[in-house]
Amino acid sequence: MNRQQAQDFIADVLATPHPGELQVALSGTHKLGTRFNDCAVSQNILKQQITLTLTARLGQKKASVTLNTIDDKTTIKRAVEQVFNTCRHMPDDEEVMPAMGEVLASKEYAYNADTEALEIETIGAWAAAACKEGAAAGIDLAGLLSLGKNFYGYGDSAGGFAFERYHRTDYHVTATGNNGSGWAEDQGVTIQQDDVAITTRRAIDKCLLAQAPEVYQPRPGTVILEPQAVGDLLMMAFWYGFDQRSRDEGRSAFSNFAKNLGKLSLYSDPANEVFPTISFTADGEALDKTLWLDEGNLQQLLTNRYWAEKNKLEVKPSPNNIILAGEDTPLDELIQGTDDGILVTRFWYIRSTDAKTLGFTGMTRDGIYRIENGKVTRPLVDMRWNESVLRVLNNVVASGKPVATGEFMSMAMPALKVEDFHFTSLSN
Amino acid sequence: MFELLKQACDTARSEGCQFADARYLAIHKQRVMSRDLALSDCSESDDRGFGVRVLYNGAWGFASSPRYNDAEVSKVVALAMRIARASAMALREGGVKWAPEDALRLDFKSNCAQNPFEVSLEDKADLLISANEVMLKNKAVKRAQGYLLFKRVQRWYVNTEGSELHSDVTSSESVIWAIAVGNDDFQERNWKAPSSNQGFESYKKDEFLVQAERVATQAEEKLSAKLSPEGDFDIVTDSENLSLTIHESVGHATELDRVMGYEVSMAGSSFVTRDKQGEFQYGSDQVTLMADNTLENGLATQGFDDDGVPGQRWEIVKDGIFQTYSSGREFAHYVDEERSRGSCRADHWSSIPIVRIPNLFLMPGKQALSPDELIADIKHGLYFEGMDSFSIDQRRLNFQFGGNGVWEIKNGKKAGMLKAALYQSRTPTFWNACDATCDESYWQPHGVMNCGKGDPMQIAQMTHGAAPTRFRKISIIRGRDS
Repeated sequence: MNRQQAQDFIADVLATPHPGELQVALSGTHKLGTRFNDCAVSQNILKQQITLTLTARLGQKKASVTLNTIDDKTTIKRAVEQVFNTCRHMPDDEEVMPAMGEVLASKEYAYNADTEALEIETIGAWAAAACKEGAAAGIDLAGLLSLGKNFYGYGDSAGGFAFERYHRTDYHVTATGNNGSGWAEDQGVTIQQDDVAITTRRAIDKCLLAQAPEVYQPRPGTVILEPQAVGDLLMMAFWYGFDQRSRDEGRSAFSNFAKNLGKLSLYSDPANEVFPTISFTADGEALDKTLWLDEGNLQQLLTNRYWAEKNKLEVKPSPNNIILAGEDTPLDELIQGTDDGILVTRFWYIRSTDAKTLGFTGMTRDGIYRIENGKVTRPLVDMRWNESVLRVLNNVVASGKPVATGEFMSMAMPALKVEDFHFTSLSN
Repeated sequence: MFELLKQACDTARSEGCQFADARYLAIHKQRVMSRDLALSDCSESDDRGFGVRVLYNGAWGFASSPRYNDAEVSKVVALAMRIARASAMALREGGVKWAPEDALRLDFKSNCAQNPFEVSLEDKADLLISANEVMLKNKAVKRAQGYLLFKRVQRWYVNTEGSELHSDVTSSESVIWAIAVGNDDFQERNWKAPSSNQGFESYKKDEFLVQAERVATQAEEKLSAKLSPEGDFDIVTDSENLSLTIHESVGHATELDRVMGYEVSMAGSSFVTRDKQGEFQYGSDQVTLMADNTLENGLATQGFDDDGVPGQRWEIVKDGIFQTYSSGREFAHYVDEERSRGSCRADHWSSIPIVRIPNLFLMPGKQALSPDELIADIKHGLYFEGMDSFSIDQRRLNFQFGGNGVWEIKNGKKAGMLKAALYQSRTPTFWNACDATCDESYWQPHGVMNCGKGDPMQIAQMTHGAAPTRFRKISIIRGRDS
């Protein structure tokens, strides 16, 4: 669906007679995916869906309905009636805010014409080529190569409208040998055959280096976290900690927090070149570049419109990406500058252990290696860690160049060299 | 409803498919959320569509659509065939080996005495906001929240073997929680009302109010609780806490697709390799873990799975020894089983079925034993209640779990609450440290409605259960610096 088609459709829905205020969100996806394991394709997936979400507001009452049968005007009319009927029965909520009512230009930073042209046979062939490379190397490969061709349209009865098309590509591959595994990913809004081949090779190389891992007695020490590990950790910290209201109400790690957080800057920007995104929220709020940490100094926290209005703060809606600005030191140099440390490819199963200190636990996975005298010397058995993100950010001593990462959130993250990182137990 | 699905299977058969199935799903959900004395959200969704899966020359093809008509069914079958041909570009040796199954006719309906979608919004608001009111009476509680989640899935399934199946399953879940602030800290305590394949009849206002008061009191108590000790301690887990440990360390570990590497790229593999079948000492002789997709009101009880196989009951661990896995028809041959265990489910009409954890529970102890008696035998230990922090490695070996409420045990009795307590162990070490579990009068089921697996991710639901259970000398660490 293009902008005009979405606008016409949304206008038709908004023209359905209704009381109060109506918001209409139209979301479409055409997702292709090839999944493989043991160097053979196990699933080819094609998902196509358009969903329509109607949100009704009557004064301080609000309710919503989502449906995927959008071809039938009678069904939509019934849904509009249903959502207002539900809304009437809602108790008042002082936090309900009116619709945005703003018309936004389509920036489409995350639209890519090359990705739009890709079909299931093409990505299937690329995945098959990866499988062949794995088989030739005697390595089991398992992974997913997927791409989404998407659009999101928003309109409201206050005159608001926004629409963008966007893409999302995801290739991640695990290479498993007799006794150890490696992993690599390529995330973003476009992917080419070479990207698949390079990523596959990186996973295989990681795997070859990971065979016959040794036990390293878990203890605090210097660690180099590759971008996926940094991203997974910061994503959790961002959603758990970066909320203004929780801070103001004493329910956050940042309540009564006066310290700074190391030296790096964290920001969001839909126009980011490494990992661009759609440039507005699900409710039609425009997203601009927002600086959360400026060289370690806390600048902003997520602030919704209700809390901003009540406390005379600037609105800071939830972003669609986060970017940690690094110092562009190549990974090889980070390793060369480390006498005694550990290189971590990726983290797995990160969970909060203490919201007050932004404490988390997690595991290493698919490639953890000892660094001695500036060189990667041997693979290690996976370890569990328990660590506070506040402490991690304060203990960063060097960083790399941000690269795209994140299956569940679009991120650009550098590798980080962190001192005194707490490994606590072994997985063997 | 069956006619177009049959047409899809007939077309696939005429195209030369070895097997094909077609599913139509109508999924209706409602979520009502409360924040303090208001409802912060009421959202409903209606989601309908069908998916066609074809097995052609040993390779899978799958396609789906929300439009359910003659022309679209033909288009989707053609697309599934096109995808199967693409899949065949990198086919495993011999292709997919599909376990046989007799044609089945079944119409399954879950228990639902009070249809939650017909209960008024006012009644739902009253339940949640009344509980919040009780929690907020406690001055330390600065935020009270809760939600009700209802789901009805109507499913029609047809395959080329002649099966025609229908199910109508309603599931319900509710949680309330209080966040207390003070003492330079904030702490959360929650109560999960029973989540199960039942309707609104599961939820009683009186129970919500009693639990709300308890939750608020304990949230406040957690603020001034001392930090957990560290070291090796005997621990007791309540039913809810152990349900999550069962899920992570047994349920996922014994999914056969993981063992065979099908989930390596995301959810991971498993340490429970096939050579362990029938021999491996998974736990002590106190440990019998039963899978049961016929469990009444169980969240994975839906009559038949998405391979067209009826629900079954089997032992995964018997008297401590590992027996067998959860499987689907594509995987049974890997363990020389003639038939699938019927535990292959898809979360949506546009998703491919994958092996999922069944309803899975620890059998209660055979001797009469109460929680007080279980605790009485501990000089210094910890009691874990409810679900909190949980993390496990991708092979399901090293894990670390917390509890939403944790108490110190001193001289055989529960003492004060503790903060930031976590138990950390290896799966077989932990289960072999089990020396007693209470009898069946203390056994309780607990539902999991958000189990993530697959790549792309799918969300499934299942029920676990246990009676309070004791484990000796388990490593305890703190999630917060002293």
